[in-house]
Amino acid sequence: MEKLNTLSHGDVVTLFVQLSIMLIFARLLAEAARKFKQPAVVGEIFAGIILGPTVFGLLAPEAFQSIFAMESNSFLVLDGIVQMAVVLLLFIAGLEVELHIVWAQGKNALSISFYSLIIPLVIGFLSTYFFPEFWGIGDPDSKLIFALFIGTALSITALPVIARVLMDLKIFKSKMGLLIIASAMIIDILGWIIFSIILSMMGRTVEGVSLWATIALTLGFTILMLTVGKSIINKALPWVNKKMAWPGGLLSLSMAVCFMAAAFTEYIGIHAIFGAFIVGVALGDSEFMTEKAKEILHQFINNIFAPLFFVSIGLKVNFIEGFNPILVLSVLAIGFLTKIIGSGIGAKVAGFGNRDALAIGYAMNTRGAMEIILGLIALENGLITNAMFIALVVLALATSMAAGPLMKSALRVKQKT
Amino acid sequence: MFQKIALAIAFSPRMEALMCEIKRLSEIFNTEIIFIHIGIESEKEQVKLDGLLLASGFNQSNSRVIWEQGDPTKKIIEICKRENVDLLVTGALKKESFLRMHFSSVARKIMRKAEVSLLILLEPSMQPKSFKKIVINGTDHPRTAEIIEKGLQLAKIEKAQNVHIINEIQMMGLRMSVAGEDTADTVESTRRSLVNDEVVKIEDILKNIDKGNLKINIKIVSGKPGYEMARFAEKVEADLLVLRAPDHKLNLLDRFFPHDLEYILNDLPSNLLIIQPQSS
Repeated sequence: MEKLNTLSHGDVVTLFVQLSIMLIFARLLAEAARKFKQPAVVGEIFAGIILGPTVFGLLAPEAFQSIFAMESNSFLVLDGIVQMAVVLLLFIAGLEVELHIVWAQGKNALSISFYSLIIPLVIGFLSTYFFPEFWGIGDPDSKLIFALFIGTALSITALPVIARVLMDLKIFKSKMGLLIIASAMIIDILGWIIFSIILSMMGRTVEGVSLWATIALTLGFTILMLTVGKSIINKALPWVNKKMAWPGGLLSLSMAVCFMAAAFTEYIGIHAIFGAFIVGVALGDSEFMTEKAKEILHQFINNIFAPLFFVSIGLKVNFIEGFNPILVLSVLAIGFLTKIIGSGIGAKVAGFGNRDALAIGYAMNTRGAMEIILGLIALENGLITNAMFIALVVLALATSMAAGPLMKSALRVKQKT
Repeated sequence: MFQKIALAIAFSPRMEALMCEIKRLSEIFNTEIIFIHIGIESEKEQVKLDGLLLASGFNQSNSRVIWEQGDPTKKIIEICKRENVDLLVTGALKKESFLRMHFSSVARKIMRKAEVSLLILLEPSMQPKSFKKIVINGTDHPRTAEIIEKGLQLAKIEKAQNVHIINEIQMMGLRMSVAGEDTADTVESTRRSLVNDEVVKIEDILKNIDKGNLKINIKIVSGKPGYEMARFAEKVEADLLVLRAPDHKLNLLDRFFPHDLEYILNDLPSNLLIIQPQSS
């Protein structure tokens, strides 16, 4: 009888040690970040940098190799767990999109999200299309896709980070707060649709499926899930809530649907994360998906899988070797300016005064986890270099850390005047 | 509270009961009643209607009948506007089939498009009773104070036994931020403070309203706006849910991505009073 391929005793031990160390460091650094009123993701990224080749690998290369050797079987399994973490992160990102808030905010949210998306997208696209080498293009033959990716990466907005800032400032439920949330939700949906199309342009499509067919499939899948899919969810959820153990039944079936959608979109040539995201939107928008259920899913994924993902970034990338200060500064400058100006214009069009428009610009400027996920996928597909990925991580961290103080200052100045 | 009331009628088994209900309303508010019928005015139907009106205690001095032809929804709305009606009464089923709910039910269409306050009666009775358990929408909105005031005004007239003011709040901010990143104590105190803020808002509104002897319960729920309110009204077995009219006329997109009133229309929890801004 042929022997099954399984992990060796040593691999199993290493895998559990890896998971344990990653979660402990992530928690410790997240707690430290909390002390400085920063989001957990900031601490988790730093935990990865400390555990990875940047610090631990430099100080104790042998110990680092024995625990986090990339060529080991355990690291391969860990990578599988991290892939799952990314899918789950996108799933809860989808769960947070509440379409009724988007409809309630109407044209004003559309205006802010349109300018907030289009200005960074166009400026990011043009500047990288004409100077691809400066921006660290991975594959010189993919100039168009590279430029589109940078444009998209600059235009994304991190909903959870904004939510935190708005809660801290006690303006979440204000007109401005809800408008910012609704605009970020629109950008989330559009941003991931655009990114999925870019991914398909990167040759990820299944053979024989053209670009236009992939675009049609992406939009078709989105529309189908948000109409027919949601209708099926609305029929099934009351039954699940009533007949099955709670929250066990709901949790396991939600995960099952999420993985099935991820598998389906991967199969048809769109990235797995897109399926997870759209299923999250459809599920989260159902009136039968209770706040409590969402909170449980949120806690479960954000405190177990998200830290593993963010720490894993630091394990894969050397942040000192790949650090290019000019590129980092350029990405920061273009990232901050285009997003703040774009969102500010949108807010002005929506009828806000200068100070409020500036505060909205600062809020919409946050990138956070979504930016990092986007960057990592581009890095893994060879579209960008390590240097560009690091610049995007710095942009994500800097914008997340700056949003609170910047918004506070804009609103304080407004109160004084 | 209402100066001119209209009843949209069709020759259905519930017409007599609706007439008895509107007779009670006409006596409470001491108003003229307009009966609107959209369809061909045949002699046979005219005689039948006259008989029913007479049996319900209506005559030419306290009522009028308007017969018109055309699209029922459009015509009813048009007549209400022309006649300065400030409350339109109509019957509706608790639930409709998918197609009727989305495309053909006149009652649902009126609820989505009307520019006049509406009273929707689910089970009109030949022996109408006053509304004893009233739920009022107190969710944060520029018109909340007005809705609560009107709801309480009606509750006093009806001598309601229980009045619940329900405020739906969003916990998504808490879930996305504090719940994941703070201690249990901080999460709990933030949650409590969010709820308390909403209770205080309602209490502030109530300070300026004459409540009479009404027993008022303030309830804060979290979840999808509209949906949670409907479920609460069902739970307390309310016989009237008072809410504000949507800020815009509801269209097809609102049906596919439901919010607020659309959740309620999906499965009516009780009789509804939908208040438009212009009604006084």
